Amino acid sequence: MTQHDGRASGVILASIPAREGRPQIVYRQAGDRFMLVEFGEMEFDLTMSFRVLGLNRALKEHGLDGLIETVPAIRSILIHYDSTRLAPDGLIQAVEDLYEHLPPFETLRIPSRRISLPIAFNDQWTRADIARYVEHIRKDAPNIINGNNLEYGARYNGLRDAEELIEYVMATEWWSAAIGFFPGLPFLYPLDRRYAIVLPKYNPTRPWTPEGAVGIAGPCLAIYPVPSAGGYQLFGRTIPIYDPKQRNPAFAENPILLRPGDRVSFGPRVSDQELIEIREAVYAGTYQYQIDDSAVFDVGEYLRFLEATREEAEAFRRRQEEAAKRTPVP
Amino acid sequence: MLEVKNGGIETTVQDYPGRIGLLDQGIFPAGPMDDLAFRLANLLVGNDPGAAGLEVTAGGAEFVFTDARVIAVCGADMQPRLNGAPIERWRSYEVAPGDSLALGWLNGPGFRAYVAVSGGIDVPVVLGSRATYAPGEIGGHEGRALRAGDRLPLGTPSSAAAGGRRVKPDLVPTYGSEWVVEAVRGPQADPDYFTPEDMDFFFSHAWTLDRNSNRTGYRLDIHRWQWARTTGGVAGGHPSNILDNGYPVGAVNVAGDQPIILTVDGPTLGGFVCCAVVAQAAMWKLGQMVPGWDKIRFKEVDIAQAADLARQLERVISADSLERV
Repeated sequence: MTQHDGRASGVILASIPAREGRPQIVYRQAGDRFMLVEFGEMEFDLTMSFRVLGLNRALKEHGLDGLIETVPAIRSILIHYDSTRLAPDGLIQAVEDLYEHLPPFETLRIPSRRISLPIAFNDQWTRADIARYVEHIRKDAPNIINGNNLEYGARYNGLRDAEELIEYVMATEWWSAAIGFFPGLPFLYPLDRRYAIVLPKYNPTRPWTPEGAVGIAGPCLAIYPVPSAGGYQLFGRTIPIYDPKQRNPAFAENPILLRPGDRVSFGPRVSDQELIEIREAVYAGTYQYQIDDSAVFDVGEYLRFLEATREEAEAFRRRQEEAAKRTPVP
Repeated sequence: MLEVKNGGIETTVQDYPGRIGLLDQGIFPAGPMDDLAFRLANLLVGNDPGAAGLEVTAGGAEFVFTDARVIAVCGADMQPRLNGAPIERWRSYEVAPGDSLALGWLNGPGFRAYVAVSGGIDVPVVLGSRATYAPGEIGGHEGRALRAGDRLPLGTPSSAAAGGRRVKPDLVPTYGSEWVVEAVRGPQADPDYFTPEDMDFFFSHAWTLDRNSNRTGYRLDIHRWQWARTTGGVAGGHPSNILDNGYPVGAVNVAGDQPIILTVDGPTLGGFVCCAVVAQAAMWKLGQMVPGWDKIRFKEVDIAQAADLARQLERVISADSLERV
């Protein structure tokens, strides 16, 4: 990646170098009505998401004239604005002013709901779509062992077996850094790095994925809101996170369940039959989603947790790297 | 009431500007692919320019009106007929209960026709809009394209609704098979991701619109890009990979070798680079391109030029653009 040293060039409208307490911020033009604000380097760093969401909230609350909406992602915010009313320079200046007035990063407290979702692992629905993939798309896909992606996932991460992979998925809370691609699809990242599974994507992609399927690619976990194509390694199915017919009180105000800044955990672990019953109760409006609305995410506390678990997380990462070297990619 | 006798290939209820403010929930705006013809059609029947109307793709639709209304058909020539007699596009007509409007197959360039009805189509407002957003199965009529037998409620017409109006002839947009589309450089245009040669090629090549193109995306020719990087680093093995970020509406997204214009029902977020973004004022042209046939050249404009084009387009969306026949 080129270093910009504060110079504007081409599509980079401004580049503010890193300094005490803040990472580099690059402002990129993204057409005549969008601007992309990028934090730090192109690397996976979950703490960037906290800065992103801190600034995102300030932007929303500030209500700048000509600002239409914002799209937070893991290390960036895409700003939708009206360039016939707000010039790019004015927008950049306003964002910089807001950023400068944010409280110190370590003291950020982000409203962050805690949501737990029941899950059936290695369920019949994802297995059926994986079987169709083997039959119609790729017979020798190395990521499919015994008709599922769990055993491959365990092998790729240096875990004992599918059961240990399941323990890892359930052991950590998952941070919702962004919602998008499809309506309501969350991009979830593991908050506890000691259990941070990584996996490559399908190759070629899978034409079918059931609604509610749960999968991982790279460090990211996704829940599929609608039946769709997909590339993530599948390991289970949960309850609906999107309901355009709004059949449950959880969807009364919005057919989309999850938001950026939510924390998702998986549990209880249920059988296929139990999942069928819960899903029916969801659509009947009688199932109550497990959501703690009042929770707050304390960035400083989390940074201390990261420090306290650093060695264990590092040990797992080394074990993963060794295992990945011995495992074929799709 | 508007009764659907034949939904054709793909006919949907749309409004303009569609669902704004939901990009962070994964919802692109939807709305008409050609917002210029759509809004002129509404003005012709005395509606607010953004009122809900019909988008007819590729032809072959038929509707019956159950009460007296004013209608207009704008956009591509699908040889519209009222009770079997040919009518003109870009002008308003009065219809009586039982009258039937039929659209045939495409006749000449253009791909989508817009039908406006005085009072607008009164389907429920979902998340702030009546526009059909098929990927999320919301909006319009039951979140889907229209079928024979569907009955759509209509709103209250404005007292200004009248037949015998037309768009001033010099303001009627002209369609062809080779399009020049104004575009602004995107967030990953050179020098970090694409080389200057890649961008020169992008802005000079006559791209062919792939036949697998629709409201979610317009696919262009496969091209061997040079790329300024050798890999996507942590985001993936290919230099077109980046850590997922929000996608602008109208972005030219390059997934591997293939550029795809993200149109109004497209994905909101993803991990591929965007080399350019179609200017707001040029989005309407996409709606009239014929997949598998038409060619596109991108003309580079900067943000200020694109904002001027947007202002010019907005000036056309005005009662001053109409005249009595």
